[in-house]
Parts: sequence; C-alpha cells; structure tokens
Amino acid sequence: MAEPISPLADAYRPGSHGNVARGVGVSIFETSPGSIIEVSAWRGGEHALVAAITEATGLALSAEPNSGAVSGQRSGFGVAPGRFLLVDQAEGLGQVLLSALPIDLGTVTDLSHGRTAIGIEGEKVEWVLAKFFALDFSTAAFPVESGRATVHHDVLAQIQRTGAKRFDLYVFRSFARSFWTALCHGAEEVGCEVR
Amino acid sequence: MTQQRMTSGGRIDRSRTIRFSFDGKSLVGHPGDTLASALLANGVSLVARSFKYHRPRGVFSAGVDEPSALVTILRGDVREPNLPATQVEIFDGMVAESQNRFPSLEFDVGALNGLAGGILSAGFYYKTFMGPVFGPLKGTRFWMACEWFIRRAAGLGRAGHGKDPERYEKMNAFCDVLVVGSGPAGLTAAKAAADAGKRVILAEQDPVPGGSALWSGETIDGIAASEWARLSVDALSALETVQILPRTGVWGYYDSNTLAALERVSDHKQSSAPGEPRHRHWVIRAQKVVLATGALERPIVFPGNDRPGVMLAGAAERYVNEYGVAPGERIAIFTNNDSAYRAAAALHRAGKRVAAIIDVRREVSSAALALVKDMRAEHIPGHAVVSTSGGKRLSGISIRRYEISSGDVSGPLRTIDVDCLAVSGGWSPAIHLASQAGGHARWDERLQAFLPPSPMQGWIGAGAFTGAFTTQEAIIEGAAAGAAAAGAKASRRKPPQAESADLDVTPAPVFEIRAPGKAFVDLQHDVTAEDVRLAHREGYVSVEHLKRYTTLGMATDQGKGSNVPGLAIMAAAAGKSIPETGTTRFRPPFTPVSLGSLAAERHGDLRPERLTPMHDWHVERGARMLAAGLWFRPQIYAQPGETLEQAYIREAAAVRSGVGIVDVSTLGKIAVQGPDAAAFLDRVYTSMFSTLPVGKARYGLMLREDGLAMDDGTTWRLGEHEFLMTTTTANAGKVMQHLEYLLDVAWPDLRVHLTSVTDQWAGAAVAGPKSRDVLAACVEGTAVDNATLPFMGIVRGEIGGLPVMICRLSFSGELAYEVYCGAGHGQHVWDALMAAGAAHDIVPYGLEALGTLRIEKGHVTGSEIDGRTTARDLHLDWMLSKKKPFVGSAMMDREGLVAPDRLQLVGIMSLDGRAVSNGAHIVGTEPTPDDPNGSIGHVTANCFSPALGKYVGLALVQGGKSRLGNRAWVSDPLRSRFGPVEIVSHHMVDPEGTRMHG
Repeated sequence: MAEPISPLADAYRPGSHGNVARGVGVSIFETSPGSIIEVSAWRGGEHALVAAITEATGLALSAEPNSGAVSGQRSGFGVAPGRFLLVDQAEGLGQVLLSALPIDLGTVTDLSHGRTAIGIEGEKVEWVLAKFFALDFSTAAFPVESGRATVHHDVLAQIQRTGAKRFDLYVFRSFARSFWTALCHGAEEVGCEVR
Repeated sequence: MTQQRMTSGGRIDRSRTIRFSFDGKSLVGHPGDTLASALLANGVSLVARSFKYHRPRGVFSAGVDEPSALVTILRGDVREPNLPATQVEIFDGMVAESQNRFPSLEFDVGALNGLAGGILSAGFYYKTFMGPVFGPLKGTRFWMACEWFIRRAAGLGRAGHGKDPERYEKMNAFCDVLVVGSGPAGLTAAKAAADAGKRVILAEQDPVPGGSALWSGETIDGIAASEWARLSVDALSALETVQILPRTGVWGYYDSNTLAALERVSDHKQSSAPGEPRHRHWVIRAQKVVLATGALERPIVFPGNDRPGVMLAGAAERYVNEYGVAPGERIAIFTNNDSAYRAAAALHRAGKRVAAIIDVRREVSSAALALVKDMRAEHIPGHAVVSTSGGKRLSGISIRRYEISSGDVSGPLRTIDVDCLAVSGGWSPAIHLASQAGGHARWDERLQAFLPPSPMQGWIGAGAFTGAFTTQEAIIEGAAAGAAAAGAKASRRKPPQAESADLDVTPAPVFEIRAPGKAFVDLQHDVTAEDVRLAHREGYVSVEHLKRYTTLGMATDQGKGSNVPGLAIMAAAAGKSIPETGTTRFRPPFTPVSLGSLAAERHGDLRPERLTPMHDWHVERGARMLAAGLWFRPQIYAQPGETLEQAYIREAAAVRSGVGIVDVSTLGKIAVQGPDAAAFLDRVYTSMFSTLPVGKARYGLMLREDGLAMDDGTTWRLGEHEFLMTTTTANAGKVMQHLEYLLDVAWPDLRVHLTSVTDQWAGAAVAGPKSRDVLAACVEGTAVDNATLPFMGIVRGEIGGLPVMICRLSFSGELAYEVYCGAGHGQHVWDALMAAGAAHDIVPYGLEALGTLRIEKGHVTGSEIDGRTTARDLHLDWMLSKKKPFVGSAMMDREGLVAPDRLQLVGIMSLDGRAVSNGAHIVGTEPTPDDPNGSIGHVTANCFSPALGKYVGLALVQGGKSRLGNRAWVSDPLRSRFGPVEIVSHHMVDPEGTRMHG
C-alpha cells in the first residue's frame, strides 16, 4: 500500500535553522504515527471506558482531566471531558479499540489521516511553545504524560508532554503546513533543527 | 557644542565608542548611553521642535515621561517616528533625525506659529469648524480651507512607506508573582517571593535593572546603591525560579491579573540575531503582582519652562550619576521640595557649578540646608523663577519673591546666568497600572500626589509607588510585599540598610508660577496654563472635557508629567481642591506599543492557510486558487490564453459531455456516532434519517430554530450507530457548534458523539456521463454498476490498493460519484482517478465550473440558503417531514414564512445576451437608470451556461413560481447593467433528473 503523504510538502526543510551559533534549542519533526484514534465515553461512563482502554492498549490512563499516559510506542491523553486521543506508531489501533470497546462504553473515531503529529524537543521547548499557546508549559503545571487541548488562533492543537523536554502536538491536517511553518519560524530564535 | 561627558562615573562603558548620527551630523557615545544622554554628552541641546508652536525643545527628562525630545530613527527604508530620545539606546551606525521642522531644526519656518499664539489657543481646532466667515468661506468650509495648512504646520514625526521587515512575536507567561519595576522595592520584593519558593518574573522597562539605585548616589548595606542593585540582580538571576526581563515595559493591567508587556528585544542592536524578534509582546498571567513602579517627577509650570536647558532635577541627577553626563556647566535648581537638593549635590560632586537653589518655600529641612552648605551654592528660599532667557539654549533665569499662600510674585526681578535649570515640582507615584486594574486614585494632601487605589485585583504596592519615597521605606515595603504576594510571612532578618540624607519628602503645594509669558503644562502638545484657564472660562468643568478640549495629556507621553499640574491649575481656576476636581482613570498602554508586536506572528500573514491533500497538484497544474474562508480551492484550471469565463465554460461543458473531477475535500464532515445517532439526526434534519439503511446516503436540510433554512448536505449511514454528515464548506464550523449546543443543552440524554472528521477524508467528485467508466477502470473490490451502486448508494473498495468509500450522489446534475479516502492517500487516489480518466479525457474543474453546473441544475448553496429563506422558498418543502418534529418545525409555518409573496427561488435567462450580476435587482417592468422601479427580488448566482448557450442565473423573486415564463428586468445601477430576462424554473437543465439517475 502506498504510504500516506505528509501535508508539509516543501515546508519540511530538514537541517538547522535560525540562531544555531550557540547550539540547537529545539528539534522539530513529524512523528507520523500509524494510528491516531479518538475515544469518547458516555456521560458518567468515563472510568469504565478508561479501564477498557487500559486493558486493550496497556496505557494506564486516568479519567482525570488533562491526564495521560505513555507506554512504548503508544500514548494517550484526555482532550475533553470523557474524550481521549490515543496514538500508536503502528497502524491498527483503531481496530483494536473497536473490538475492545462496545458501543455502550463509548465511540471510536479514526483520525489517523485527519491529524498531523508534530514532535518538538529540546532545552528551549517550553519557551518556543509559549510563543504559540496560552498554556503554562512548566513541568509543575504540565507534567510528563499529561495533555491539553487548546488553539493557536484558528488552529486546534492537542498537546501531550511525552518527556521532560518533549511535547507531541496534534493539529488538523489541513492546517499542518501553516502551523509547521509558524512553529519553525518561532523556533529560529533559539536555533532549530528540523529532522 | 561643548562636550559634557565626565571622565568618570555612571554605568557607561567608556572603553568602547559608538558612532551614530543626528540630523546627519556624526556623533559618538558609549555602550550604556541613551540617545538623550549621548546628545547631551555631545553638547547638543536643541533636539526637537514643539508640536504646535515649533518652539525649540531639548531633553527634559531621563525616562518614559519625556515630552519634548522626540526623534525619528531610520533603519533602511523604515522610519520610526516619535521615539523619546530618553528611551532609545544608541548602537553603531544609528541614524536619528529630529522631526516637525522645515527646513532644519536650527531654522524652522514653523516657528512663526509662535507669533500666532493667541489664535492657536485651546480649542482652535474646534473653533475653525464654526467659522468665521471670510467671503465665500463659511462654517466648515473655513475649516476645510485651514486644514491643509494645519496638517502641515502641526504634528509629530513622519511615518515612512517602507515595509517593516522586522519580526514581532507574542509570548505567554505564567508566574506566581510578577514584580513590575526593579528599583530597591522591586528587587527586595522579587527576592522575598523567590525565597518563598515562588516562580517570579521581574519586569524592568529600562535596559539595566536597578531603578533609582542606579542614580540615587546613595549607599545600601555600605556599598554604592548601584552596586547593591547589581549584586541583587546577579543573585536573582542565578535562581531558576526567577526570570528577569529587562527592556520590558508592562503597559496594561487587565482582568484576572493578566498583564501586557512589551519587550524591546533588539532595538538596541545594530542588527538582530537570526530568528530574533524586534519586539516581543508578553501576556503575563500572574497569581499576584507587586507594583513597584516608582514615581515620576513633576515639573513646575512657569513662563519659559520649555526652553532647552530646562529639565527635571531628577533627570539631571540621573544623567550625572547613571550616564556620566553633566546637563550644563552652570546650573540652577528650582524646587518646591527637598529631592532637588540631592540632585544639586550630585551635580556639585560632578564638578559642576550649582549657581543657585531657588526654593518657593521659606523654610527647608536641615538635611537640605546641610547639602547646600556642602556645595556652597546660593540658597534663595521664598523665591520663584518667573522667566527664562536664551535662544535655542537657556542662558539665564529671572526670579522674584514668591508667596506660597497667595501665589503672588513680588519684589525686584533678579537675573541669574545659567545654562541649565533643574526643576522639581514634587513626585507623582506611577499608579497607572493600578488605576487600570480598577478603583479611584486617592489624593494625598501631605505628598501633594495621587496615591494608588485600594486593590481591586491581586496586586500589592511597594516603594515610591505607594508614596514611600525614601529608599529605606522602599526596601522594607518591597520585602513585605514580596512575602505577602508569595503568601509567606515577612522575613525577620534585618533588611538592607540604606544610607541617605534625611530629606523632607513633602513638597509645597505649588504647581504654577503665574507671571507674564507662555508657561507650558503639556510640553508635547504645547498646552499652556492659559489654555487650561481658557477652557475653564469657556465652560469646561469636567477634567475629562478639559483633557479633550485642550488635548492636555493626550500626546504620546500621555501626560505623565502634565496631568497633575494641569489638574491643579484647573482646580485653582474653578476655586476647588484637586480631589474635588478629580482625575482621569488611566488606560492602557502605559507606554507606546508597537502594532507589530500586537499582530505578532500574524504580521504579514494575517491568517493560516487551510489546504486540501491535493492542493499542490492543483497549483502545479496552474489552477487559479480562490480563498474560501481559510480554505484554498481551485477556481479554474486555465489553459494558455483562456479567460476565466472561457475556462469554466470549457470545464463545465466537459463534465456534461464526458467526465470531470473536482476536489471536494473542503466539505465539512462530522462523524455522528452513538446508539441515538439516528434519533438525533431525525431531530436536526427536516427529513427522516432513522429509516436510512446502512450503506445509503440521503440529502438533508437543517433549519434554525426560527424555521429558516440553515444548511444542507448529504449524510451517509456507515453503520448502525455511525453516520458521516457532510455540510457546506462555509458552514462546517457553524453546524458543528449548532449540533454540539443541541446535544449539550437541549438533549443531554442522547448518547451521541460528534467529531470533526473534515480533515480525515480527502474527497474527489467524479462527474459526467463517463464517470462510471472511470471508476470501473480503477476501483477494485466492488462493482460500481447501477445495481451495486445506485443513486445515493455507498460502496467500499480500493483504488490503487488504497481503501476508498464511494457514494453516488450529484451536485452537478450528472451521473456522479464522490470518492473518499484517507487524507494522506488523497493524492494517490486522485492520481489514479486521473489516470483512469485519461482514456475519457477527464478534466479537472474548479469552483466556477462547479457553480455553473449547479446553477444549470438549480441546486442551492449558501447564496440561496442565506439566512432569510425557508425550505419552501427554495422548493424544498418535499423534505419537510410531517411524521416527526425537528428543529425549526414549530416555527416554520408562521404566517410571514408562508406568505405567497415571499422571495422564492427561480431561474433567469438573459434575453440580451449579456451576463447578469449577483446582487442585481430583479424588477417587474423595464427600469431606467434613475428609477429602479421597484425591486421584486435579486440575483443570487449567475454564469454562462454551456448547456443552454446563454447567460443564466438563479434569483430569489417575489411570488417565484407564479412568475415563471414572465419577462422581467435586471436592474443594477451600481454597475449600470439593465436588461431583460425571462423568469424560468430553477431546474434549467435536466429537470427530470434522467442524467443524474442514469
């Protein structure tokens, strides 16, 4: 099967950009997961759904707002009350969840093509992201594994902290090129490596 | 020009030289210099011309309150006007210009305005609107005659036309404690908060933190205050929890402790580092705020108080102590308080001759007298300056005896030769941010100043901001405020000990010396004390009205030094006290803000582009792209030499005769999932969806609650509990919000989830009599014949090994299919469809052809579903189910919505062979250009129909169907288009639908 085509096209310019004289502040890359799935619980059924997700995926999710989990190639986090974005580097997670989650627990929506996943990491990652989002990116306020749903102007962004200095961002595919361009532009101040 | 640079002192780096120019003249300065300090060091006293009278002006202050020394900085083609020289840091190669002068600063013909001072008084601008009458020039015509001259004679700097290439950014920040101001109070506040483990941001508008410690000349804990400040800053910088932002002016205090600040990141550099912005707009959300913004010195208003060489005493002190520059050789002090004595001492220590200290008070503190004794200056109490002399530079002052209680001057006139007069009229706490945060300022009779209001948001004040004018008070208050902001107890440790003269901080209540001559209250707007009194005589009793009438305090300095003196003069004229007269509430910004920083990354790129998976293919094929909201869609794929009309006619004709393909990825797509999904759709659509079998699609219409049509589209049943709803491109967001509102508020019991999947799917519509052949040639895993895939049927299969979902539906009126696949596969599938269609000469078509096809067929879009039409108006009443209620059903039968004379959808055909325009009126009888003759409707869409060979359109016309076959006229006075049309059925091509269902 032909590989999916990235929406970034010419906006993807690997290499060093901006003020790298004093090192690379952040690295930016497309993570291209095989599966991006949104799972939504019925009102009052959040805990049951989370338990089923955990059993099906091994992700120790919590029903608490903004919580998340990372395990191997899989990750997941809350993006709205009772809603979770689940990501797997491999394809097929949607089918796994469809099989594991009956309609009485919630719904499964495949967004693998609809969202573009962008990773950003480095010492200056909080500084760069703060240019775009009105979120407190400090570790205390935004712990590793937790997630947020927010916007940058017109662009919805769902963000998970997957490491002390790494965040994974999920944006609508149609906006991805514009957002990527803006993100790389904003990162040039601290030295940016696109890989 | 006499060089005024001292050989030592200040925080400038004398080991390095910076070369810059002012009005084309090459000058030198040092790192650490502002343009103002560098100009003073080079002996440049004439820096600017005033706004109205073009009077010579020099440097008056040393900070953000500078009213006079405004300059223009040039960087390439970019001119940035109206910058206070006191806020501009020099860099190598800087080009600065004076402004508002012609032909030069030295010889400015605009200075003739000064002779017309009586005419150009307060309200001159408004009075010209009313006359007088000069021959044919009456009333406002007189104003129009004057305007040309006024616009050129009055003003500030000139903006350029060059595009600003700089980068601007926005930054979001969160902290426990934001400390605004880094003087002794701010530094101790930041330390106390940091010691309590809080995240602290310390914002300082100047390049170097330290505030008054940098120029007070005092000692703290036995070392120079400037050194104590440097060590304090170093200690704070070492903490991970503290972020120090120099060159960052906090200019706005908004709700919920949200503050706005402007960081001047690279203004002081010859060139920016790669990726470095020029300005950064900070939005800081703070749990608590410590306002340690200090105080601004006020001038005393007296005749000739604007002459170059007259400056604030605190500024003179600052130039000596911070920049190593003496503002003059022979200096006089004029004051109503003790702080100017400290400035005098600093000037004396710098080796300058303090010729006299003129004090309106008869009695001064012993500490002040001790300073006088040390410097051996002539002390002249009970006197006031009544005039100044000199041309473009102060050469002398005249003084007379002064009585505070009456304000009278008397006695003999005495002249003193000086080249600098340092003036102090007391200090006003910089309460601007606190005022913005809410509450009324409080007048303090002892300090003769407005103090901050009681906090209405989470801020705590410290230092001179609260009226605590001594350094020791500031240190103690700062530490207490920092601890309080952190929710901690105040430290029991002994605070840093400041050593300073025990000066009296209370000024005498003297704001103006009334004597003959122009005495300026607002130096930047050339508002005199007499202007204020004139406003009072003309009936302006409110300080707000005074401000607008005289323009007092409305210049770029926002009256930082002039508001209180102006208010005092107004109060005296009205016979009231200052608090009775009132004050205005400060509004953001505290200091000017670049518009670029507010636009931030949207500077030059006002909105993000939304692109379909096949966008690049369209562009590579020469498609002319059209913005549709944030989306970009192909309008036409023009061949060489084709006009827009020729292109769309060719494309549409190709669809009717063969096959075409169009990108429909932009259609809104919403996954509607859940056990109650079908029931939900029954409620939101006018027709029944619960009866729709899996694998079938249905055209649906939504109404608003008021019964008017809202949006349409097809919805596909993909499973028992799963539907894929499509919406128009334009209404995708609106429909999603509407549906979410209904689920959250109206029917929370329904188990339905909505998810936007617009971006999940790429969509291509393949239309035309050969479309089935194209699909048959490339689709695998399913047949596409009429039996397998009937009208509104859905099949799943593969194209090029990639999964696709195909629905047979038609917007064009032709046999047509919409092919959906994962967006990442969109280009692959599109390529495969193009390859399969090559044998049938498949043609890609754009929005124009898409519109043409739908107009011919009579299908509606947002042009007809315009928020004013009903389902019946659009002949969609067959979709109004009578078996169930739905959103809008209760309201759709209102009398006004079913009236027979409502505008209804019709087709129109041009009878004169010319195009009709959207928006043109339809009139029942032949119109004339001057008489549209009664509109009966309007054109909603138009095109040349290749199928009919004529210009056609859709229109909304009164009575609609009752006029079919009638002749009418289009009337378009704006575009001078008048002509006959025939009103016909909106189904102009294939009304039976045989092509679509074939």
